[in-house]
Amino acid sequence: MSNINRRTLVKGSLAAAIAGTALSRAAFADSAEPILLGVSGPLTGPNAQYGTQWKQGFDLALDEILAGGGINGRKLAYSFEDSQSDPRQSVAIAQKFISDPRIVLELGDFSSPASMAASPIYQRGGLVQFGFTNSHPDFTKGGDFMWSTSVSQADEQPLLAAYAVKKLGLKKLAVLHLNTDWGRTSRDYFNNAAKEYGAEIVVTEGYIAEERDFRSTLVRVRDANPDGLVLISYYSDGALIARQARQVGLKQVICAASSVYSPKFLELGGDAVEDVHVGTRYFPEDPRPEVQKFIAGFKKKYNGLEPDAFNAYAYDAMNMAAAVVKIGGTDRKAIRDAFTKVKDVPSVIFGAATFDVASRRVKGAMNAELVVRKGQFALWDGKPT
Amino acid sequence: MAEAHAPLLSLRGLTRRFGGLTAVDGIDLDLAKGGLVSIIGPNGAGKTTLFNLVTGLDRPDAGEVRFEGQDITGLSPERLAGGGIARTFQLGRVFGNLSVMDNVLIGAHTRLRAVKPAVPVIGPLLELGLALLRPSSVKAEEERLREEVKTILARFGERLLPRIDQPAYSLSYANRRRVEIARALALKPRLLLLDEPTAGMNPSETTEMQGLVAELKAEGLTILLIEHKLEMVMRLSDRVIVMDEGKKIAEGPGEEVRKDPKVIEAYLGHGLSGTAEQESAA
Amino acid sequence: MASWLDYTINGLIVGNVYALVAVGLALIFGVSRLINFAQGSIYLVGAYIGWVAVVQLHTPLPITIIFVAVVAALVGLIIERFGLRPLQNSVRIAPLLATIGISFVLDQLVMLTFSPNPRALPSQLPDVRFQLGGGTIGPLDLLIAGVGISSALSLFVFLRYSKLGWAVRAASQDRDAAMQMGVDVNRVNQAVFGIAAALGGVSGLLVGMYYNQIDTAMSLQATLKGVVAEVVGGAGNVPGAVVGSLLLGLVESYGVAVFGTSYRNLFAFLLLVVVLVLRPNGLFASARQAPPEPLTGTFIAPSRPVRIPRWALAVAVAAFAVLPLLPVSFYMLQTLINAWLLGMLALSLTLVAGTIGQVSLGHAALLAIGAYTSALLSLTLAVPVGLAIIAGGLMSAALGTILISPSFRLRGHYVSIATLAIGEIVSLVILNWESVTRGPIGISGIPPLSLFGYDLISPNSVYWFSFAVMVALALLQARLLSSHLGRSFRAIRDDDIAARAYGLSLNRYKSLAFIFGGFAAGVSGGIAAHLYSYINHETFNTQQSILALTVVILGGLGNVVGAVVGAVALVGLPEIFRIAAEYRILIYGIVLLLLVRFRPQGLLGTI
Repeated sequence: MSNINRRTLVKGSLAAAIAGTALSRAAFADSAEPILLGVSGPLTGPNAQYGTQWKQGFDLALDEILAGGGINGRKLAYSFEDSQSDPRQSVAIAQKFISDPRIVLELGDFSSPASMAASPIYQRGGLVQFGFTNSHPDFTKGGDFMWSTSVSQADEQPLLAAYAVKKLGLKKLAVLHLNTDWGRTSRDYFNNAAKEYGAEIVVTEGYIAEERDFRSTLVRVRDANPDGLVLISYYSDGALIARQARQVGLKQVICAASSVYSPKFLELGGDAVEDVHVGTRYFPEDPRPEVQKFIAGFKKKYNGLEPDAFNAYAYDAMNMAAAVVKIGGTDRKAIRDAFTKVKDVPSVIFGAATFDVASRRVKGAMNAELVVRKGQFALWDGKPT
Repeated sequence: MAEAHAPLLSLRGLTRRFGGLTAVDGIDLDLAKGGLVSIIGPNGAGKTTLFNLVTGLDRPDAGEVRFEGQDITGLSPERLAGGGIARTFQLGRVFGNLSVMDNVLIGAHTRLRAVKPAVPVIGPLLELGLALLRPSSVKAEEERLREEVKTILARFGERLLPRIDQPAYSLSYANRRRVEIARALALKPRLLLLDEPTAGMNPSETTEMQGLVAELKAEGLTILLIEHKLEMVMRLSDRVIVMDEGKKIAEGPGEEVRKDPKVIEAYLGHGLSGTAEQESAA
Repeated sequence: MASWLDYTINGLIVGNVYALVAVGLALIFGVSRLINFAQGSIYLVGAYIGWVAVVQLHTPLPITIIFVAVVAALVGLIIERFGLRPLQNSVRIAPLLATIGISFVLDQLVMLTFSPNPRALPSQLPDVRFQLGGGTIGPLDLLIAGVGISSALSLFVFLRYSKLGWAVRAASQDRDAAMQMGVDVNRVNQAVFGIAAALGGVSGLLVGMYYNQIDTAMSLQATLKGVVAEVVGGAGNVPGAVVGSLLLGLVESYGVAVFGTSYRNLFAFLLLVVVLVLRPNGLFASARQAPPEPLTGTFIAPSRPVRIPRWALAVAVAAFAVLPLLPVSFYMLQTLINAWLLGMLALSLTLVAGTIGQVSLGHAALLAIGAYTSALLSLTLAVPVGLAIIAGGLMSAALGTILISPSFRLRGHYVSIATLAIGEIVSLVILNWESVTRGPIGISGIPPLSLFGYDLISPNSVYWFSFAVMVALALLQARLLSSHLGRSFRAIRDDDIAARAYGLSLNRYKSLAFIFGGFAAGVSGGIAAHLYSYINHETFNTQQSILALTVVILGGLGNVVGAVVGAVALVGLPEIFRIAAEYRILIYGIVLLLLVRFRPQGLLGTI
């Protein structure tokens, strides 16, 4: 495998060298221009916050890539098109990227409707759609140009279930989930795994993203008499639920999915999120060098701001894109093929990341079991709360 | 007299209350075919409410309305229009953005064949189909009605014909009243209710309108008229009904009613008499 | 049974929160007969001003409240003076649209200033909890209740007994008469907007503290729930708004209790529709009122439509038809495909909103019905895509008309509110009816467009297909408008009372308009489903409905060519403004405001 790689690489650079001598001016312009990635994501509209977080992660990764000599000497850059996570706009952006010869790879979109509406266009146009937050089980089924580093919920949720049931010893669970494609899929994987580990799901409640008042939901939860609450939530709704649970007098253990992992969760939840357990893919004290580099770099670049899960997804995605482009060059098909070749790319979420060629996703997300102690995320010490 | 036969329109004990106010209070009225009865009374006497009750725009709290011997109390205005009752409005309710032609064509709406099938669901769908496919019979009908509208508009001399394609909002107040009457005539009504047809008209326009109403009466049309201009009322009416505070306070031939002390009292008692107000406005 | 007490308490607590917004809405409606869609944005502004005061300036609570009230009142005064007063003599629909535009602008300004990330807004009250039933309430609950009830009461007293209050009521009864009697209507409006905005701002602050969380998405939600509560209580009725809010809170809470959390908003919007149908003037209105005054010519701007010669239209159609043969980018074609799809939706809406005067704010529901029908038929029953799209159109026509029929007896802004609610209900049913719609997972793998067995996948063929369908629908609609039905629709729009007096059945013709319009919208949704290959309950959302309405206004109400021109403009402009990135929605809002202000009849004029 690596042999072939090296050979094609050598061939490629040979060809480039020959072309370079023949058309030196063109080649010069070529190498001065950055290699361009297209990003389709929300900068305005209801999901605008996630687009902003992506940018932070991307920019950090790009700084590091440039400092490390770029892609074979060339700069890597991205062009961010605002889709508002609206399928009508993401399909137009898809055509725009496809017809722009400078774009070698596309990242995004954020929501499933926006991403998957654009998939047929990327597939037919032969441009890789690298949907790094698209956990919808059907996303990569859109075609062989769809790749994702989004943690498969089939991988993540059993880890959370193991934390809740096996480690924390919870036997009767109340599951609250965002009623989106992500929340629904996650809930199903979680419930199956939890039952397998011997727990009983006494109540599941799906809520819409705009919901703010959970008091009545929590009465239902209370009446089901669980010994633990599981939140398949984002940080803002997760914090709201935790606060209101404490306000209505629920004292059960709360266990939340990795998507709440954000300093905002602590800020918005205040005292109420104390002792909340979170299964995550990384944590600040994780000794792995890629994690330390990411956290230190992020804090330095953004005035001491703590990174969160979406920052990390974006950071990893950009690094992965760089690794792929290093192998594939600037040819779109070669880039697609490079996804099958790239191996053990250092990442915050997966450790050494390698794609599973059949599912076009990365397996083996890292696992860290955290708990909120004194207003900070800390590695769980095994003590019951 | 025609009154010997069953009247075309007859009201018995018609009553309508709004909260504490009884706007129409036990009104009885008979109108013979081909007759013209006028209703007068000070402002707020309940005349327009009475019209609304007869034409189905409002429902009475008590009493009944009979048209050609049939009880039509509380029927919808759509059905009553289909039955041949047409009216004009006190404030001149033309369709502002429709042309004069279209305004008057709406008057002929109930006569369109496409509109006829009253079967639920299928009827409306057939109407939609006919409107889109427009077979020659539909086209011919439309053409015939357009010619008819022109004949009706010709009754108003050169007032409306030159403006036939103008939107109604661009017309003068008096012309809007004329469009309303033309629209009512396009229905080919068996009973015509005119609510102050000369409101806002100057004396010569009023005379013109009076001539038109007389002409309609001569053609045998049955008319119920609300009018403030007593001169016109006296000339045209077979009978005059005087209303005050919802009640009928007098009824009879014009000259008789005019001398009735209760009528004088009602007008003077209300300070500003409707008559005086209207005359001064004109 | 202790739980029922808890559900009741929780319902009252959240109803309490809704009341703060509803009272402000009721006050404004009482005077200007206007549903102020910007009220939620003032609430948002109040929350962020409060954040600045609490987190950056460290002001104590009483100062924070006064500061927020003053700034919010200023915002309200500016909105009244520059956004709404110039529209005083404009068409009825203009101020409604202006408030939508103002809310875009305010929300975007807040987002640009403070970033879209949610922020914590810590409560400045001591954190003591009182046991009540199975749960607890805190001092903020009491403060919110206090502010809600006392503001409603003081407004009630003010309206009843003060001189300005008398003027406000006079102006709300009959504006012209009040003016003749020497009431300074502008001053009244200013006072009302100032008070309502101060109240809105303070509610944003308190609710933000209540949840310890503020973000830019809170604006639309607050407006939606506030409008529901206000209309339930009787639009314009200030104490009614408080009762309506509490009732809404209770209905939601009991809905959650019986059916589960995901049905919560379904009950909120069902309550609204039921109240509108049974008691259109709200629960506390007097039983029967005198028939309303005529509205002749005030619904749409009287205008002479721009006459475009037939040959020019033919040339334009031909030019767009040959476009793919020219060297244009696929991006441009895709953008135009979006324009044609939006154009079909706009044709539908311009017929129901423009021609027959039913301003629908829930039109995206018709897209969704068409899309789901077509997607499911082609996926599960292997119906050929072409037929499935037509079936989608027919289903949208039938089901859409049945669903919207409760709103047929309503008038004016109530129609907009009812259709908004019906749109939300459709979306929530799609979310919850998992056995058919697959719920939040959505439908993926929808087959691509195809015709007579040939797949249409190249941008050129999709372009031609959608363009041809749109042109066909436009021609059909033009034909409809030139028939007696077009005349009848427009007559109903101009004066529904007079129309009824001439035998036009409102139910019949409104149904026909929705049947015809529903078909066009359903076809548009069906094509979109096959184009995107994946749809879920979020694909066709309220923003789509509002966008479509903007298109229709831009083009000119009822104007067929205008609908298409408007669609091209409003799909094209944001693409052109891409360069402005984060600022483009702001620009869009400003364009909408300028349009309503300076050309309310639209580019091509109303028909």
